[in-house]
Amino acid sequence: MLRLPFSRGLPCVRVVWSAAVRGTASNPAPEKIEVFVDDKSVLVDPGTTVLQAAAMVGVEIPRFCYHERLSVAGNCRMCLVEVEKSPKPVAACAMPVMKGWRIKTNSEMTRRAREGVMEFLLVNHPLDCPICDQGGECDLQDQSMAFGSDRSRFTDIHHSGKRAVEDKDIGPLVKTIMTRCIHCTRCIRFASEVAGVDDLGTTGRGSDMQVGTYIEKMFLSELSGNIIDLCPVGALTSKPYSFTARPWETRKTESIDVLDAVGSNIIVSTRTGEVLRILPRLNEDINEEWLADKARFAYDGLKRQRLMTPMMRNKDGELVVVDWEDALIATASALSHAQPDEIAGIAGGLVDAEALVALKDLLNRLGSENLVTETIFPMEGSGTDFRTNYLANSTIAGIEEADLVLLVGTNPRFEAPLYNSRIRKSYLHNEQNVALLGPKINLTYDYEHLGDSASDLKKLVDGSHPFSAKLKAAKRPLIVLGSQQLARSDGAAILSHVQQLAKKLSSSAEPDWKILNVLHSNASQVAALDLGYKAGTAEIRQKPLKVVYLLGADEGTISPNDLASGGVVIYQGHHGDVGASMADIVLPGAAYTEKQGTYVNTEGRAQQTLVAVTPPGLAREDWKIIRALSELAGYKLPYDTLFEIRDRLDDIAPHLTRHGEVEEASFLDQSVELSKNIASSFDSSPIDVKQKHLEDFFMTDAISRASPTMAKCVQAVLKQKQSKYYEGEV
Amino acid sequence: MALDLFRPLKNLYKIVKQNGGVTGSLYKLFRQDELKWGELVGEDKFGNKYYKNDYYFYGRNRWVEYNDKVWLDYDGSQVCPEWYGWLHYKTDYLPHEDPGRPVYPWMQAHTQNLSGTRQQYIPYTTTKPKIEAWVPPSKK
Repeated sequence: MLRLPFSRGLPCVRVVWSAAVRGTASNPAPEKIEVFVDDKSVLVDPGTTVLQAAAMVGVEIPRFCYHERLSVAGNCRMCLVEVEKSPKPVAACAMPVMKGWRIKTNSEMTRRAREGVMEFLLVNHPLDCPICDQGGECDLQDQSMAFGSDRSRFTDIHHSGKRAVEDKDIGPLVKTIMTRCIHCTRCIRFASEVAGVDDLGTTGRGSDMQVGTYIEKMFLSELSGNIIDLCPVGALTSKPYSFTARPWETRKTESIDVLDAVGSNIIVSTRTGEVLRILPRLNEDINEEWLADKARFAYDGLKRQRLMTPMMRNKDGELVVVDWEDALIATASALSHAQPDEIAGIAGGLVDAEALVALKDLLNRLGSENLVTETIFPMEGSGTDFRTNYLANSTIAGIEEADLVLLVGTNPRFEAPLYNSRIRKSYLHNEQNVALLGPKINLTYDYEHLGDSASDLKKLVDGSHPFSAKLKAAKRPLIVLGSQQLARSDGAAILSHVQQLAKKLSSSAEPDWKILNVLHSNASQVAALDLGYKAGTAEIRQKPLKVVYLLGADEGTISPNDLASGGVVIYQGHHGDVGASMADIVLPGAAYTEKQGTYVNTEGRAQQTLVAVTPPGLAREDWKIIRALSELAGYKLPYDTLFEIRDRLDDIAPHLTRHGEVEEASFLDQSVELSKNIASSFDSSPIDVKQKHLEDFFMTDAISRASPTMAKCVQAVLKQKQSKYYEGEV
Repeated sequence: MALDLFRPLKNLYKIVKQNGGVTGSLYKLFRQDELKWGELVGEDKFGNKYYKNDYYFYGRNRWVEYNDKVWLDYDGSQVCPEWYGWLHYKTDYLPHEDPGRPVYPWMQAHTQNLSGTRQQYIPYTTTKPKIEAWVPPSKK
């Protein structure tokens, strides 16, 4: 099968790709060739383009269609430069350099070529910059100022008028103003190469060319927001952000996304205490420069359904607004009147490590060890004692080096879209093969389907499965286990078999290559397990609970019926959702844009969010609430500042304060030994994943459930599925 | 004109006499920081009294003494519109003499400036709050 649809057909492009492919160092390094950019000598590898060579000496050539992460199109002609002894200017983005070339990026010919291209582009571009959302961050604006001519020969405004193109409706996230399109085809290339959805394309040619979806349909992708960033003009803009702000009015805060376990780096744009939009931030190890739609567009959920004041249930059973003092005193007295074993703390999926450690310290001081996370992880064998058991050990960037990926009961496309885009990238460019054990789903790349029976794992371990030969032949195999499967009744057996398979494969794989990966579904699970929380509420539900402290726990894994009579449910969090509805005392906390908190992503990388806006109303940072509560409960926690609580984190798990770094874990051998005694009986039920289709992707947590934009997305996808043109691809 | 050395004393006598003796004068002085003598030209519906004395120079020869009931809470806006013109030299006609002062049924009764009182006008916001709070579901 042809993996790259059209770009591989272009000979010059193939040269560029092979230079960019990682891990192909087996060939001897080819001799470097010398070229001169503006008379500055530079030594480059053969196959380097003029544009890349110029970038090496710090000369930036203007471009519209060229993008580092997409294939080369070479159709905007903005990067034309003069090469000595060449009669015509050459397109720098697509032309590989030859030995001894003298490239002139600032000559008269180059300058006039740019002015000519700019003039043609502007003839077909509306002059609506004052009402264009791209204004201030528009490549066309900037480059016409820098490289354009100071006059135009366009005078035809009264005869045929400017080119006008009908707008397309491609869904509730991306707004199109197609008249502004300059046909760079970045969106088309992104859709077919990165997103893996061949929805966008061009029709017509010359001045009749149009970018669109051929028939009116929604752009059905979980990465659709990235085409907004890619668009160099204002043809594709953000629909929820339209006419909201100019880039120079907003304050930008570098932060971390917490709506999946990838921990994408983001920039939060705020103005007057309001989050206006979220953009991706470059991090080659995690999200490159992409961002999933949920992370990008669910921010309006931060403005709805918020807990802004403490609340308590009155004698009629209604939640009423109270002061912090009353709520904290009531909470403290509930905690101190219960026996230690009758108190439990349950952590949800959006909680930072600081709040987790504060709650753990408080409950430990009260004598309780009932601290669990909502998401289940098998505690049999070595359980969560070894980090290697519950991390994506080969890291996200490490996917690109793998030659074979085995997905077990996971749909990374919707559980962690940027994890999936890495697999797709490696599938396209690194000849990576993928196999899936689980339900048949669309992963945007081809994979070998191994069925959906859990007992096939046993066959894979003992080598009797037909796929075992391929696994054994792989030098850098990778197994990705979805955390959902661990919630099954045979979760422990699945985990132990995956561990044994990983152990077995490590003998045929390259030394020091990590095979076992667990893909988590929420942002706080790894930090909670690192801090010593147990996983799953099944065990504590058996106990006679009097006080349950829900720290952002909104999945409804425990209900008031699980408590002894007269039990108290305390909910601390930022959204009124399942947890707050059943609580007796509600303590309003801060969402991830409102606190400086540590989160650990699925590969074990600690990162911190920064404060973009203040918590609304009377809401406070979560660890401070628990710290204040501890003083009233009579067990004062010994930290008053963020630095002191980070010191405490450092005492428990030093990697939690080394932000940005992956802390590796390697005790696979020991953990396999310990897991050998686990009963290996599998359920007969097939392996299933919760998020199979695009409509399952958008609303998965308290923030995205409160977001009107995400609700619109679900509606739009469902509507698209009713369309007669829908082909059943997602 | 011969200099009348006793004129200040005569005026003081007039003032004290008009303002109700020594205690009355001290009361007025405390309330309005000024003591004057002059001719009472009228009284408005709020009980404010208007005086005129051309002995004082222009700009000080017409004045109002506010109703005793308001005590120290007197305010320029308590002058009713009928008297406003005369008091501010827009006209020399007293309200009952003024021909160009039609009264229509739709005219609203004058009220003083209510800022700082309980009846003051407070505009309410029509913009949506930036952040909407969660409303707990009612049991009923």
